[in-house]
Amino acid sequence: MDVTGPALRGTAARPRVLLATLPRGTAVRLAAERLLRLRDWPQVSTPAQADLLLVAGPHCVSLQAALDRLWQDLPAPRARVHARSADEVEDALEAGRARLRSPTVQHEQAAPEEGEQQDGEQRTQEHQEGDQDAPGHAQRDHHGRDRASGRRTADDQADDAHGGHSGGRDQHDAGHRPEAEQGARGDAHDGQEADGHRDDEGHGSNGGHGGGEMEMPAGLPMAEQGEDRDGLTLDQLHVPLGALLTDWPTGLTIRLVLQGDVVQHATLEEPATPVADAAAEPFWVRPWLRAAAGDPVPVGEAVRRRMAAHMDSLGRLLAVAGWPSEVLSARRLRDDLLSGAPRAAVAPRLERFTRRVGFSRTLAWLTRGIGVVTAQDAGEAGVSGPAARAGGDVTDRYRQWLTDIGHDLRRLEESSPLEVAVEESPRGHWSAEHPPSSALIGLLPRLLEGAELAAARLIVASLDPDPDELAARTLEVTHG
Amino acid sequence: MVEAGAWWTLLAAPGLLLGFAVLAVAGDAVLDARSAGRPVSLATAVRPFLGVPRALVAQPRRMPAPDRLLWRTGVITVPVAAVLSTLVIPFGNHAVADLSVGVVWFNAMEVLTWAGLWLAGWGPNAAFSLIGGYRFLAQGLAYELPLMFALISTATGAESLRVGDIAAAQHGLWYAVWMPVAFAAYLAGVLAFSFLGPFAYPVGRDLAGGVLGETSGVDRLLLQAGRWLWLASGSAMAVPLFLGGGAGPGLPASVWSLVKTLLVLGLLVWVLRRLPMIRADRYVEFAWVVLIPLTIVQVLVPAVVNLNR
Repeated sequence: MDVTGPALRGTAARPRVLLATLPRGTAVRLAAERLLRLRDWPQVSTPAQADLLLVAGPHCVSLQAALDRLWQDLPAPRARVHARSADEVEDALEAGRARLRSPTVQHEQAAPEEGEQQDGEQRTQEHQEGDQDAPGHAQRDHHGRDRASGRRTADDQADDAHGGHSGGRDQHDAGHRPEAEQGARGDAHDGQEADGHRDDEGHGSNGGHGGGEMEMPAGLPMAEQGEDRDGLTLDQLHVPLGALLTDWPTGLTIRLVLQGDVVQHATLEEPATPVADAAAEPFWVRPWLRAAAGDPVPVGEAVRRRMAAHMDSLGRLLAVAGWPSEVLSARRLRDDLLSGAPRAAVAPRLERFTRRVGFSRTLAWLTRGIGVVTAQDAGEAGVSGPAARAGGDVTDRYRQWLTDIGHDLRRLEESSPLEVAVEESPRGHWSAEHPPSSALIGLLPRLLEGAELAAARLIVASLDPDPDELAARTLEVTHG
Repeated sequence: MVEAGAWWTLLAAPGLLLGFAVLAVAGDAVLDARSAGRPVSLATAVRPFLGVPRALVAQPRRMPAPDRLLWRTGVITVPVAAVLSTLVIPFGNHAVADLSVGVVWFNAMEVLTWAGLWLAGWGPNAAFSLIGGYRFLAQGLAYELPLMFALISTATGAESLRVGDIAAAQHGLWYAVWMPVAFAAYLAGVLAFSFLGPFAYPVGRDLAGGVLGETSGVDRLLLQAGRWLWLASGSAMAVPLFLGGGAGPGLPASVWSLVKTLLVLGLLVWVLRRLPMIRADRYVEFAWVVLIPLTIVQVLVPAVVNLNR
């Protein structure tokens, strides 16, 4: 009996989508999220759960390797598509669905059984739909063979170094994981692979199989130990968060040292930027950029964009806080605002949303006391906007967003021209040299240290910096 | 009176349980479609089940150095324990086995989920999955004692651990009415051992899916099925424990059981959408400072009533 055909059709009817947003990909992400919501294609947060990898945004070289790792982690049946602009999303989704439905494509992609490897990992042969995405493509077979024997070769490392892929992710991992990150494998999507930084490849040969000093499970090094906050000596895990993490500021990478699930140390990395010719401006501040360039922009339009930005941030915060049904409401409101829905159409739902989320005692109880940024701290760090006005913890910040949305709702129809100095951009007073998000990002390391992982995610989501704003600055500096 | 042991009940109990679980998933899908602004139709309700054939062909996922034996054991334990728990739940006047220690059996099966979920988190050798497993233990520390006291309240009221006796002892005055705290603690416990909605902490999105994050294919299907089977089982158990079992005017006992189970299930599906995920670090405090003392006082009430009778 052939069960593959019906099963593939079942998969294609409701694919689970892993949405990987690249820097400057906000508009594409919004289009994709809207379509996925309307089609009921669930969005998932790890490659293990996904059928379809949807890459959203302009080409980004520094994240290419990370994307390839995500793709490797997708179990078959699977498909990978790339939408570079918002108009391409619909076609990309259709292409992905067609590929998922086709038994021939899926057969080619399925992992050939090479027998049990020493570590038991099933080989996943690379197969990419877009050649331009696959440097090092030609050497694959050769490498597959090498890896089957459990050895890394010089070729491999050369391959990795220029962002190619290794079919055998296990050896690969063992190779560049001298800091005992192996425990964090699970979060491939959460970043340790997705950070796109390959600078530790060089350790490949010595870390690869335990360095021959001690027998390591699957050649993975053991965790190192360190003092924890209670004076105990605990294993330390090095877990980067970002850059392709779902419900996370696009392109931001924070390297964490975890003991248990408590953050001991957090370091920021320079956000990834797309290739310089990317025409897309940072989506959320576009009206401000246009006004600064001299275009007359009606205040109503800027206000609408700001409301949608706050709704987007709220959706993220709720996703991290674990309230999926309200995430749906927030994203629906955001999409309606962006598509120009009149005030009367959104006002009742907005009011219900504010009542349920803003007045939720449970949500407030869960977020109280986390990530306190007093008005004074904010001022010193150069933060303006909702985070500064809230002057408190995560609870105060999301309530501030809701308050701002409530005020903005009355101004949706204003047509006077936007003045950049008067009207605040979504994350604070707009200035190209000091974009408000850079101050927000600067706050993060200090706030994260000592927090539990769940709290750390809430803190980042409640500040919700937009690294695209920083990319605007570098562009202007290099071009100006 | 509850009759036990007819051969066909062995088939009917898992079948009914599965039916309830399917209804719960479908109901949740319909509510989802409503808040997402999609048109609601029969197709909306069955869409989640498109994932079932998919899970059967999906490539199994292997991590470096997994503990495969324990991983598999954990993944299988969760749904199997849910099915086994139904053995002692009377439906109408029938139960598979009306054990003299039925309440203890149910509780023991539910505690097996602890082991199952912890092993499922441990097995893949992945940090977020492991943290997910730990999270369930932390959550267990919070919900388990109030849940046990809630179960003990009903057993004390009926002076028996036999589920059939507890249902019969209510004489028209449901335990849900005069033991409301126990009922609430029990329902919270059901959501907690199904790790759904406010108690989805072990599989939190902030952990990229936690225990579920590294599972795909059949493993994932089994764990997901386990969640909804537990929700269904917990709802079915609420009926004999707190809602008088199959007792009711006019209709046959099995119809009353069906109606009451569906009502509890509907209530739980609605509640799990109305609350955000509760982190165990906050819930433990609430559970130990507020819930445990309250449920202990709740146990005292039937004890004192029975002593004075």
